[in-house]
Amino acid sequence: MWVSRRVFSVGLAAVLSVIAAVEASGQTALDGIVRSKAVRIAVPTDFPPYGFVGSDMQPQGLDIDMARLIAGKLGATVELIPVTTSNRIPYLQTKKADLVISTLGKNPDREKVIDFTAAYSPFFIGVFAPKAMELKAPGALAGKSIAVTRGSVDDSELTKVAPSTAEIRRFEDNNATISAFVAGQTQTVATSAQVAAAMITKNPQLGAEYKFLLKDSPNFIGVGKGEDALRAKLNEIILAAKADGTLEALSRKWLGRSTGDLPE
Amino acid sequence: MVNLDFGTILVDWRMLAKGVAWTLRLTTASATGGLALGIGCAWARIHGPVWLKAVTGAYVELFRNTPFIVQLFFIFFGLPAAGFRLSPETASILAMVVNLGAYATEIIRAGIEATPRGQVEAALSLALSPVQTFFHVVLPPALRKIWPALVSQIIIVMLGSSVCGQISTEELSFAANLIQSRNFRAFEAFIVAALIYLALSIVLRRLLNWLGPRFLFGD
Amino acid sequence: MVEFTLWDILRNLLLAARWTVGLSLIAFIGGGLVGFALLIARLTPSQGAHRLVGLYIQLFQGTPLLIQLFLAYFGLALFGIQTSAWTAATLALTAYTSAFLSEIWFGCVASVPRGQWEAARSLALTFGEQLRHVILPQALNIAIPPTVGFLVQVIKGTALASVIGFVELTKAGGMITNATFRPFTVYAAVALIYFALCYPISLTARALERTLHAAHR
Repeated sequence: MWVSRRVFSVGLAAVLSVIAAVEASGQTALDGIVRSKAVRIAVPTDFPPYGFVGSDMQPQGLDIDMARLIAGKLGATVELIPVTTSNRIPYLQTKKADLVISTLGKNPDREKVIDFTAAYSPFFIGVFAPKAMELKAPGALAGKSIAVTRGSVDDSELTKVAPSTAEIRRFEDNNATISAFVAGQTQTVATSAQVAAAMITKNPQLGAEYKFLLKDSPNFIGVGKGEDALRAKLNEIILAAKADGTLEALSRKWLGRSTGDLPE
Repeated sequence: MVNLDFGTILVDWRMLAKGVAWTLRLTTASATGGLALGIGCAWARIHGPVWLKAVTGAYVELFRNTPFIVQLFFIFFGLPAAGFRLSPETASILAMVVNLGAYATEIIRAGIEATPRGQVEAALSLALSPVQTFFHVVLPPALRKIWPALVSQIIIVMLGSSVCGQISTEELSFAANLIQSRNFRAFEAFIVAALIYLALSIVLRRLLNWLGPRFLFGD
Repeated sequence: MVEFTLWDILRNLLLAARWTVGLSLIAFIGGGLVGFALLIARLTPSQGAHRLVGLYIQLFQGTPLLIQLFLAYFGLALFGIQTSAWTAATLALTAYTSAFLSEIWFGCVASVPRGQWEAARSLALTFGEQLRHVILPQALNIAIPPTVGFLVQVIKGTALASVIGFVELTKAGGMITNATFRPFTVYAAVALIYFALCYPISLTARALERTLHAAHR
């Protein structure tokens, strides 16, 4: 049974024109959200307390609460899409998600490819290690092993300041990084203060504690490059939530601390 | 429509080269270890006492019916809880050796069982010890027979090493992943990696097909 | 945080295993259909078709499945096609399966004696009829055991879909490990579930090999 050449080329032309139409549609993300009354938000599920799963395997956490808040204010139903550190930026670039609310820090490399809103929650990146270890500054990492998540702000900050004899082990996602440190595969770990706090509570046998700060890198919401209408709307929502204390309440609920000063 | 930029990937050729070096190191170590383990277990499954046959049988079935990535994660994340902590590289090599060993056992066993009984009897009648008989009379023709299947399995394991980057071993996939996580050129990075793997598998097959006859079973 | 009992762990893993089974079946059946088409292409007299199919198989057998998954996931998106982890995993695994199955089947067809083809031709059967009535039925017996055996490879292959974020058994294992910090138990359970899926299939393939006397042809 052979497909005739004519049928094949018509079919091919049809497929190509659909693809071209999708590309050329020029519809902004905000238009799409308003029209379909649904918003796709990428969130973490491997990074408690910002995003993790309960025993019902449903996502919960600060970023998830933020996502629901935003969706509510946009008048849309929310579709939560689990992402990891490595695929959240590509998700925005390829329009698989409308926004990313996933402990996203701002740095120049990322600013080249996506746009950021105002900050909505604090995020401190620190280095953690057992109490017995003397570790006051990056220089002390010489000759020690440290776990970090590849492609994250933790990674770029650590790479900047770590001495050349430090053994930096980069893992695919936060899940693996934390698992590796807990399993004792590295002596130290660089990650968010909040996540480390959760890990330490759950694993007292590690005897780990906070050593020093790598960066104060608050979380921003990410949108596709050039999606200015969406970005403006989100900033509106964030600033309103800041003014009426919602952001502060979220921070206290999940992180047990105040938001402090959040940059615009 | 689509703009591809391979330049940003090739600029990082040093990182890719380091990745290739690690892939080769992992493959060589696991091919040697896996082959040795395979020969040992194959012998055990044919000539060993009943309990040893059962143990090697269970090992072979367990490792051939579970995914490599799960074996790797268990060794790297799980074993430390039982007191065995291995570095990412050691864990990778161990996982690859044990994985290849399971497949090699069955392949080599098939080869050995195809050796005519007469050969063994002739060797024993010449007062060769069982050990000498095994290594000089039984094994070489067996290896020659199953060499293509074994080479294919080694290549599969080499390609499987791409998973070791998940536990931070800096092999080729890890390098490609690292490059693309910094310059966001995922498609180009992985195409380059795919082409390098393709070249590696072609070269490795030729190399092993030359190596086998020359060093292992003489032709 | 949240407390997981052992039963919670098992329950969630088994639920995730449904996706493993689903993905495996779709890839196996889809791959089988595509692989069959490739097989027919390879059996036609066209040299061009032979070379193309050969190249396709060489590509999928000479590159890691992980890289194929990454390419499907990131690459297709570049061309404007929406890819979720599910779509990318399905596409990549289907293509992967089609390459391997078509190669296995070609080997089986090649082992049907040349004389059968000539006899069929001498009976004035068309190419299609030769395949349908003479060659394929004989190749079928030889092909069944390795095909069933390859299903095990497909199931194991779905574990890699976890790396591009598809929530199947392995990914669920990773997520639960991070929620419970009990990697030994969790990954042991994951391994056992895969074993429970794959081992019966392996045994079936071996039994089929014996009953169909494939080795004695």
